[in-house]
Amino acid sequence: MEMENKTRVTIMYAIALVAFILGLLFNYFKIGSPHFQTFGSVGNWLIYLGFVGLIIATVRLIFVSKKKTTDERMEFVATKALRISFLSLIIGAFIIMIIDGIKTITIPYHMFMSYLVCGLLLIYIIAYKILLKFY
Amino acid sequence: MALKKNKLKEYREKNKMTQEKLAGIIGVTRQTIISIENGKYIPSLPLALKFSKLFKCKVENLFEV
Repeated sequence: MEMENKTRVTIMYAIALVAFILGLLFNYFKIGSPHFQTFGSVGNWLIYLGFVGLIIATVRLIFVSKKKTTDERMEFVATKALRISFLSLIIGAFIIMIIDGIKTITIPYHMFMSYLVCGLLLIYIIAYKILLKFY
Repeated sequence: MALKKNKLKEYREKNKMTQEKLAGIIGVTRQTIISIENGKYIPSLPLALKFSKLFKCKVENLFEV
């Protein structure tokens, strides 16, 4: 079932606001590590996320009015791309385990996870774009 | 797996429809119509039924596996 643009924007606004408020509270009560790389603290990172979310939601609300067609072929390709991403995650995890066994990975956990999420998103997008040409 | 018979293009042209128009009526993208006509993508049963309803023919007259 397709979600309407308005509903999507409302959900995005809600998530962004929650992130924003949580960030302010975290900073106010000094919760979390003050050594959160790039952003200074977890609160700052949440505020940044909330801010980006608010901008994206507003841009969608103003500029995206056309109904986007999502058909079964796209869903089929998306499922295949998701499967490839999942397989990449498993293979990647094995490789990382071996690398960690040889030489300990010293980067902070939050940085490691953000690289992982970005990598997975990149693999998904590339797989989706390539598969669209074959189906 | 490929389709043995695929007469979507034939039926579309018989009904004087463009790929764009057919896509709009059925509710898919033009690229999907192109993929089905070229045999790259096999449509699902609901989609095949939509085609047969639109062209007033049996599904087996349109597609055959």
